[in-house]
Amino acid sequence: MAPRTTSPLTKTVLAAGAGTALLLTAACGGSEEASTSTPAPSQQSQDSGDSGSASGSYKAGDYTAKGSYSRPSGTSSVEVEVKLEADGTISDVTVTPEANGTSLQYQQKFVSGIKAEVVGKKIDDLDVSKVSGSSLTSQGFNQAIDEIKGDAAA
Amino acid sequence: MPRPDPVLAGPVAPWRFDAIGTAWTVDAVDEVDAHARAAVADLVARFDRTWSRFRDDSLVAEVAAAPGTWELPAEAEPLLALYGRLHAITAGAVSPLVGRRLADLGYGSGYALRPVADPAHVPAWSSITWSPPLLTTTEPVVLDVGAAGKGLLVDLVAAELAHHGVPGVVVDASGDLRHDGSGPLRVALEHPHDPTLAVGVADLPPGRSLAGSAVNRRAWADDLHHVLDARTGRPTRDVVASWVVADSCLLADGAATAAFFVPPDELAATLGVEVVRLRADGRLEWSPGFPGEMFT
Repeated sequence: MAPRTTSPLTKTVLAAGAGTALLLTAACGGSEEASTSTPAPSQQSQDSGDSGSASGSYKAGDYTAKGSYSRPSGTSSVEVEVKLEADGTISDVTVTPEANGTSLQYQQKFVSGIKAEVVGKKIDDLDVSKVSGSSLTSQGFNQAIDEIKGDAAA
Repeated sequence: MPRPDPVLAGPVAPWRFDAIGTAWTVDAVDEVDAHARAAVADLVARFDRTWSRFRDDSLVAEVAAAPGTWELPAEAEPLLALYGRLHAITAGAVSPLVGRRLADLGYGSGYALRPVADPAHVPAWSSITWSPPLLTTTEPVVLDVGAAGKGLLVDLVAAELAHHGVPGVVVDASGDLRHDGSGPLRVALEHPHDPTLAVGVADLPPGRSLAGSAVNRRAWADDLHHVLDARTGRPTRDVVASWVVADSCLLADGAATAAFFVPPDELAATLGVEVVRLRADGRLEWSPGFPGEMFT
């Protein structure tokens, strides 16, 4: 399981493009409101003289960016923290909404616990007692599907 | 197939039976005797006779015929109370009134699995008044308790077995299960698109329940499936599977449907449950307290 980030933030985002991309990544875990908003980083800064290379290599570390976007009710912002590995992999993302009222409710929909691309493991290789999943679904439904497949084949 | 493990490897073989259209397994420390089996069979028959949307002699079929007032059995109280909470939490997306719409879309008795030309709308919650034990309807609604009914029946079967002195059982209705045995029960969370793969494993502590919901198998023409958004009358799109760990199988089952509309953290905070869901884009989301391991 990916750990939630607890380490203090040591660096800030180096480039506006990175901030936008990260915010979009974080936001698409949420609602339709998220996908129709237009994120734009409102603030970037750089600490301790780290030079951001534009040539595709990454400096590992924890980064943070604040992004803002417009809603009919006004401007809202979120803070995005990421842990970036040297190969460019983002190993952790935390999104903190900075808003209140309705806007906060929408933003909280982005902040949905831990999320990651599913890889999966072979069930046969796992030491488990039970399986919970859709292959065990209703018999009546499965029979009906079989009949329809039969009709279609005839 | 899962290997036998110490939690379930009792001296007696599991008791298997079919009920409400699915396969059930009871793992008990002792043999489930004939009296207990008969009591469970009666319970299941009463439950089906009340709640089935797939038979024409059920109470649900009577309610569907015309507006009126009906006295519902005792289990309706926790069931409809939960539906009320889920309806509120999901801003109206979860509703027990989607039955006619589901049937018109093809998922009703007879399993037409072909939508009618002009499927019925989903009635507003205000078309029913629930004052336990009396249900009053202002239009002929088709109740559908598919979001939580199976979980409720798991709880009722476990209680019936306990009442008959059958201790330490795991009641498993094809993946919606209640664990009253000893030690953590490891349950693979099956990938909806590949039944040989698990997206994770739940370590279910004794006294807890787990329920799952997925939309890919019970799906038919034009991307129709059985989890409807009651607000639009259309199947949901963004989430393809969910699992919930809760203190009752009723709550786990209902919350697993709500997880199609509400993110894991929010659901965990609101209902006191733990949630995993797989989004259509292949990302897995889970509440930090979920007991188990995710394969990401």
